[in-house]
Amino acid sequence: MNIPHAVKRLVLAALAVATVAPALAQEPPVRIGYAISRSGPFAAGAQTTQEPNYILWADQVNAAGGLNVQGKRRKIELVGIDDRSEVETMVRTVEKLMTSDKMDLVLPPWGTGMNFAVMPLLAKYGYPVIAPTATGRRLIEMKNPFFFPILQQPDTIMRALAEMLAARGVKTVAAIYVDELFGLENISALEAALKAKGIRILEKKSYPIGVKDLAAVLNEFKSLNPDAFIGVTYPPDTFLVTGQAKQLGFNPKIFYTAVGAAFPVYRDKMGVATVEGVMGIGSWNSKASPASKVYFDAHVAKFQKEPDRWGSPHAWAGMQILQAAIEKVGLDRKAIRDYIANTEHDTLIGKVRWRDGENVSTPGMVLQWQKGEFEVIWPPDRATAQPIIPKPEWK
Amino acid sequence: MSDWLRQVLIAAALAGAALATAPWVLGEFEVSLALTILMYVGLAVSWALFCGPTLYLSLATSAFFGIGAYVTAWGLGTLPYAVVVPLGGLAAAAFAALVGAAVLHLRGAYFAVITFGLGELVRHAIAYFEKSYFMTVGRVLTDTPEKTTVYLTVLAIALAAVIAYALVRESRFGLALGGIGADEQRAQTLGVNTRAVKVAGFTLSALFAGMLGAAIAVRWIYLDPPTVFNPFIGFQTVLIAMLGGAHTLLGPIVSAVVFSLFTEFLRLRFPYAYLLVLGTLLIIVVLYLPRGFAQLWEGWRARRDRPARAAESPRA
Repeated sequence: MNIPHAVKRLVLAALAVATVAPALAQEPPVRIGYAISRSGPFAAGAQTTQEPNYILWADQVNAAGGLNVQGKRRKIELVGIDDRSEVETMVRTVEKLMTSDKMDLVLPPWGTGMNFAVMPLLAKYGYPVIAPTATGRRLIEMKNPFFFPILQQPDTIMRALAEMLAARGVKTVAAIYVDELFGLENISALEAALKAKGIRILEKKSYPIGVKDLAAVLNEFKSLNPDAFIGVTYPPDTFLVTGQAKQLGFNPKIFYTAVGAAFPVYRDKMGVATVEGVMGIGSWNSKASPASKVYFDAHVAKFQKEPDRWGSPHAWAGMQILQAAIEKVGLDRKAIRDYIANTEHDTLIGKVRWRDGENVSTPGMVLQWQKGEFEVIWPPDRATAQPIIPKPEWK
Repeated sequence: MSDWLRQVLIAAALAGAALATAPWVLGEFEVSLALTILMYVGLAVSWALFCGPTLYLSLATSAFFGIGAYVTAWGLGTLPYAVVVPLGGLAAAAFAALVGAAVLHLRGAYFAVITFGLGELVRHAIAYFEKSYFMTVGRVLTDTPEKTTVYLTVLAIALAAVIAYALVRESRFGLALGGIGADEQRAQTLGVNTRAVKVAGFTLSALFAGMLGAAIAVRWIYLDPPTVFNPFIGFQTVLIAMLGGAHTLLGPIVSAVVFSLFTEFLRLRFPYAYLLVLGTLLIIVVLYLPRGFAQLWEGWRARRDRPARAAESPRA
């Protein structure tokens, strides 16, 4: 062996070490998979309240060096797949993520129906999820130990609404509700809550999902002249009743709509002046805490759109809890489940604790659009602003 | 029994035996994919059973499928799965017989539109019924069968649809259906009771779609009208059958397999391109292969047989 040859070998070996070494030092990523609607009828909701939060979370954690898994920094590799808003496709995709892809963790799909369908897989393969867009007593009645719904339940939300109405001296209500699990659970919860407060329902009407015209119902309500209008509505209907009530000049002292009122696009599409004084379901806004402002700004910077004031903060809180669980107990999914179930968590939406599968810490709240912000007006200890009652004239 | 029928029966038996081992051989995801493929094989073949020879364009598949699924929603829990599934098929068949008698005198676009409307009608009727009598709209299934059971059930229904297709085509009934497609008035003149034949064909086709709906719905746990009366299932069935060639048996089967694998591949690998690719493919087929991909095969066979002057009409 001559000298130059040996040197060449040495150099080669050194080069090899230099290229391989960083790869060895780098820990393998934590692989987190999910199926979510990017096409089909659920896409608008899923892309407003849910998937942006998954992406933002993974980005922020990776920018900070990764998750701290038992003393080692590991990056997150997110694997998100379109479920085309089809239940069967979602089930098949999640099965793939859990079995052949062997993901470390999975994140939940969008919407109550989809979350029902994913439950058996969670229990079968032992994957815990915190679901930010599923609500209903029936979900909790499934008693699935791996499923943690983080939204408030219908009875909690409607009780808060009834308390606020009673505190403001409301005597009569007219209500509409969508013919769907959400609408029916909420309207029966509302009826019970109003009865307990001695508030009368003058009229209640249901309508099918995908309704295109509610003017006749609103006109009838107008002639009844109730103190409050309660719409247990879905996003398209929330826009519809707002536009038609304005057109008809139906302007009760309190005007309340349900899902979609918390979307920034509701304010932007209807106009800041139009939605002034409209109330609805929500949980949060960026004034809630300094951390809230940081989250809000990061969301706007990343997606050039604001997070909504209900599902998004709950989704973010879910990611915070998941991260805390991983950094506390590692990637053992059973241990993560136990940590989620048995700990009181500090999150963007305040304390969160599950009892018998329900988030019992987040109270029902009432929010109101005021000068372009969805302000928390009930309960008083969460309020970010004083309520404006009666609602100003439509503009 | 003709050679063709014997071949179909043997092929169905062999394929059935091989596919029945899937749950023990393949992974979870592959079995789920096979389940979806078999569902579309069953739907497309049963659709082609009636619509292929008669040239009626039915969009009622989603309605039949949804009725079957709702029988599961109502029945499962009190009745065993093995009873609920055929019951779902019978409910859909009864519905098809009823409405078939009323709408099968329509043709072309009118028939297509009214069958699509049927799906919407049933969807809203069930939603109203559930709300009025049970104060609910969605049903939660708690005690659902194992995936292997579901897979084998769907496999059996798909095979039954294939066999039914073959038997019908070899029968006088099948000839009458073909006669209606060729010229309905002439068929009538030649003594075919076209009305009864059409209703029977439509009903038989609905039986399989209903059973498939009842069988597969248990995978969804939460059933409500918008989920089970998904018009997309009906559109996809028609698309698969037409792409393959609705006048053949092999066409819809091959098309269901290829189409399902292809859409799954696109969805997982090219999530943003897949609808574009599908749309383009559809346009090409409609423009250049109006008889589906079976046309390619038939063209090839015709060219091969031309020197031999084979008189028999091509069959796939």
